[in-house]
Amino acid sequence: MAKSKKKAGDINSSSMADIAFLLLIFFLVTTTMDVDTGMKRTLPPWIDPTEQQNDVDVNERNVLKVNVSRSGAIMVGTEEYGSNDLRRHGTHSRLSQEVYNFLTHLDRSNKKATEIDGMTYDVSEGLVSLKADDETKYKVYLKVQDELTHAFSLYRDDISFLVYGAKYDELDDIKASNIRKAVPMKISEAEPNDQTKK
Amino acid sequence: MAVMAKKGKKEVPAMSTSSLPDIVFMLLFFFMAATTMREVDPLVQVQMPEAYEITELDKKNLVNIWMGKPLGAKVGEDALKIQLNDQTREVSDIRDFISATTVTKGVGPKDIVVNLRVDEGATVGKLTAVKQELRKAEALNISYAARATGNN
Repeated sequence: MAKSKKKAGDINSSSMADIAFLLLIFFLVTTTMDVDTGMKRTLPPWIDPTEQQNDVDVNERNVLKVNVSRSGAIMVGTEEYGSNDLRRHGTHSRLSQEVYNFLTHLDRSNKKATEIDGMTYDVSEGLVSLKADDETKYKVYLKVQDELTHAFSLYRDDISFLVYGAKYDELDDIKASNIRKAVPMKISEAEPNDQTKK
Repeated sequence: MAVMAKKGKKEVPAMSTSSLPDIVFMLLFFFMAATTMREVDPLVQVQMPEAYEITELDKKNLVNIWMGKPLGAKVGEDALKIQLNDQTREVSDIRDFISATTVTKGVGPKDIVVNLRVDEGATVGKLTAVKQELRKAEALNISYAARATGNN
């Protein structure tokens, strides 16, 4: 009886921190913080091989051919590039510099008058045709894709600077989509030769 | 001066730890809000390649396809496997997977972005086979998953 009259003591709250820490650590372990990042691409629509194809006519001088061999050697046009040429020195690698030159120089690819936001600018018609061997390592392949994309990004920056006086990244959505439309990332991948092969 | 001397001799009281739980709870809530639960357990090993030109992907209509060596594969064994959701499947299953996903998500195949999480040691030939299937399934928006260069 005396016991029930006794005032209940305070619950010791010093272990509260421990419990909270435990929960915290549990959530740290079970969750992931990483945002999904990746390089976006659009595949060409499927063409039935049995159907008659009408190939798109592209002026030969507007195409820069990039071939990647199984050993990781790269042919750009008629010149050979190695894995070292994919490495960045400052903002460029040798490959991205080459592609950028191809896009910007008048003697390499044709320019087409393109309307951007009511004004007309000369935009390169150049496109890069990428072909990789089936045995090429994905790491090399993506690095090549990366450098090709980089060249187009630099070119977009140029056009964006010309039109809006700001870099492409700094533009708002509408202006950015105008630039995207005017300067599409023209990296075409060759149709695989043997479609039955897995 | 006498007052000063007295103050200096006084012992520093122990720091109150009563607010420690609050701080930890705050951290806890931050992590709960900022992170997402791991949805699928990986069945294949994917070491993502590094790249500079990457963008953040919107989680909403993202569909993941993993490609790599199965977990626990022996050294030298390089049979690439494809993981869709939480099963390892074949390349020919991709079309069914895409059409099933579009039904559950309630969007067309053109509205989804297929995130290809491919191991950096994989070969392009296998990737091409996957891409051909995606083209047949009309899922044309893809992304090559990569991590920012320099980050781990």
